[in-house]
Amino acid sequence: MRALTDNRSRNRALVDFVLLPFLFLTVALLGGLRIGAESRTFIFIAPPLVTLLLAVLSMLLFIRGGLLRLHQWVGSDLPPLTNVAHIWMFITIFFASAQAFNSVLPERGLLHWLFSFFFLWTLWNNQFSSFDARRLLRSLAILFGTAFVLKHMLLASLYSSDGGWLKRVAGTLLQGVALDAPGFAPATGYIAFFTLALYVAGLIVLAFRHDSHDSALALSRSAITKTE
Amino acid sequence: MVVRSRCINAHLQSKIIQVGGLGFTIAYAAFIVWIYATEPRTFKEVTTSAEVAAGTYQINQEQFNSALNLFRREQFRAARDEWQRADPAQRDARTQFYIAYSFYREGWGRLYFDQELFKQGVEAVKRAIALSSASTLTIDDPDLQMHTAAELKTELEQGLESSWSDVNPLKVLRTRK
Repeated sequence: MRALTDNRSRNRALVDFVLLPFLFLTVALLGGLRIGAESRTFIFIAPPLVTLLLAVLSMLLFIRGGLLRLHQWVGSDLPPLTNVAHIWMFITIFFASAQAFNSVLPERGLLHWLFSFFFLWTLWNNQFSSFDARRLLRSLAILFGTAFVLKHMLLASLYSSDGGWLKRVAGTLLQGVALDAPGFAPATGYIAFFTLALYVAGLIVLAFRHDSHDSALALSRSAITKTE
Repeated sequence: MVVRSRCINAHLQSKIIQVGGLGFTIAYAAFIVWIYATEPRTFKEVTTSAEVAAGTYQINQEQFNSALNLFRREQFRAARDEWQRADPAQRDARTQFYIAYSFYREGWGRLYFDQELFKQGVEAVKRAIALSSASTLTIDDPDLQMHTAAELKTELEQGLESSWSDVNPLKVLRTRK
């Protein structure tokens, strides 16, 4: 029984202090990475200001949805090192969120502002809905999935040199409207997909971490009750 | 007693993971910030920038010498290409000085100076001055007539200025340095 508890605490430490920060930092690294269409070189795009705002709204949502438990993670009764490690994890989640939005936002032009507006609208509305961690995760996965399809599939085909019918239709419908957006190599879409998958996976691990913590807490409580 | 020591051991292991994880992820975050600050375009540039940051960066001496030979044969563009390959991070003051000199020599004309080449020359010599650790960058090369970066910079800047002396017909008698 003791060995089981030891393993659990070691694994939890590994997940909390190594795996999750590493995962979220990788999202922060890849979220701004694009591959140039012509030169095939790396282009690093730092998160625009609006993505930081979106990340703040997401963090508030995570706290409301119970995905981040601020009161359990940071407190005067916890050791200082644990508090520092948990604050560090908050920071990595914040930047991962900003970069996840960065990866699905068009880089400039009218579409950048349209996408930003829809993200802001959705996240602002969600602030007033009742959420639990699982529903929040589903909602976020759908939000990022939709944005990914729109940017990296529809818009990418629109801006590719052989855009086909979609390019012609859009060109006719939106004549005179500046939809200025840079074209990137197809590898950019794969990188964005991998980034978003990592981000959502990180959030799922976070949710399961809470579940296992809750069940462990319930188990120890029932054991205490039995001994009493 | 055994249970207590095992408990302490597990606690210690957890602490080690905590400290190690924190250190590792902070180093990783610093790497990410550095990547976004330097914006390398290829994996090769990533390694070059890492060498610069670690202080182990060195120019390719063979390419430098071959560029110098091209420069002496007045093949300035080819020389510049070689120097740029020899110093891809643009971190060597001597190489940047020679690049600036090649812009000067190529841009110099008896009747007029090529403004575009002179502008690029000024940029390169400014880089050379910024990179030189000594107070004045001096190059001991008998083939050159200007040995300091300051001289070269003045010459290039004067070439970019317009004055009444530009219409002086005796100007054609001046010589290239």
